[in-house]
Amino acid sequence: MHKNWILFKVYLLAGTFTFSGGMAMLPVIERELVGKYHLIERDQLYEYATLSQTFPGVIALNNACFVGKKIGGTVGIIAASLGAILPAFVLMLAATIAYQMIPQEGVVLSIMAAIRAASAAFLFSAAYSLARFNLKDAPTIILAAACFLLTVLNLANAPTLIVIAGIVGIILSRVKQVRRV
Amino acid sequence: MITIFLTFLKIGFLGFGGGYAMLSLIFQESEKLGMTVQQFADLNALDGLIPGPIAINSATYLGQLYGGFWTAVAATLAVCVPSFIFVPLFLHYEDKINDNWVLTAILDGIKPASVGLILAVALSLMLLTVFGINGLGEWAKASLDWTSLLVLGVVFFLDSKYHVNPVWLILLAGLLGGVVYYL
Repeated sequence: MHKNWILFKVYLLAGTFTFSGGMAMLPVIERELVGKYHLIERDQLYEYATLSQTFPGVIALNNACFVGKKIGGTVGIIAASLGAILPAFVLMLAATIAYQMIPQEGVVLSIMAAIRAASAAFLFSAAYSLARFNLKDAPTIILAAACFLLTVLNLANAPTLIVIAGIVGIILSRVKQVRRV
Repeated sequence: MITIFLTFLKIGFLGFGGGYAMLSLIFQESEKLGMTVQQFADLNALDGLIPGPIAINSATYLGQLYGGFWTAVAATLAVCVPSFIFVPLFLHYEDKINDNWVLTAILDGIKPASVGLILAVALSLMLLTVFGINGLGEWAKASLDWTSLLVLGVVFFLDSKYHVNPVWLILLAGLLGGVVYYL
């Protein structure tokens, strides 16, 4: 089998069976590309996985681009990316079309209201687990609290806050480097 | 279609730190396109049911909702553009970039910020579902919906503490909503 075809197939498989994207697909990629087809070294794959998370954009897709480029060059990027995107696109498109056909009346409204409350709960849960991993000291807690308050009070929008937070991140890292020297 | 394409291009370039960090951007930018908080809540529920990265799912959903198939394609491609630019660029100059501390530092700032941003989105959804209002400004009109409050509490507990599969939690919530209707 041609390596670009393998790339497409492996990312398609990983994309179809992993929820919420990100690095959830890594074990499947490792099993197939490292274990079964020997197209990439395990260490290299994990290095790319780490890098993928620091780049802007969709993490799973960044990973597909790194691995695709390494294994098959530009064609490899296209093959792996298509595999990574297609399942999410096709399934979500089908789900959205089905969603548009649901009649918004009677018992459906009541069911949807409850599901929306569950949806709110998922976000609180996501915020909670993100907080546990990322709020470690005073600066990070202040940054999170400031972003929350500024958004709730309608004083700043998300893009602005993200840019400012990135700059704060650079400054904090510089301060730490200076202190160490 | 062009507006949606540009919106998701922006979301992609500012989207550091993965799906949930991007959700607050998607929430605010899509409100400008006319998306309601209800539609966003439904999107987030669908994210739990459908495999794939949150950003791609969101782009497909909003594209389909606001323009149909080709807009969905355009939005999905837009959110993918940063990966196609930055990854090959990085690999091309890899030997010259021996320390990408800047990217790590940016991420160190954005991750805590995204906690605050996502919490603000969660609050918006809670105000709508539990209190029936759009934002704190309408607080005087708030009326408590006990069913939604119960669902929110139980789902949060089961999700954060026991990591129950979201598919089951959504089914459970839907079932409860259906039962309450006939009570």
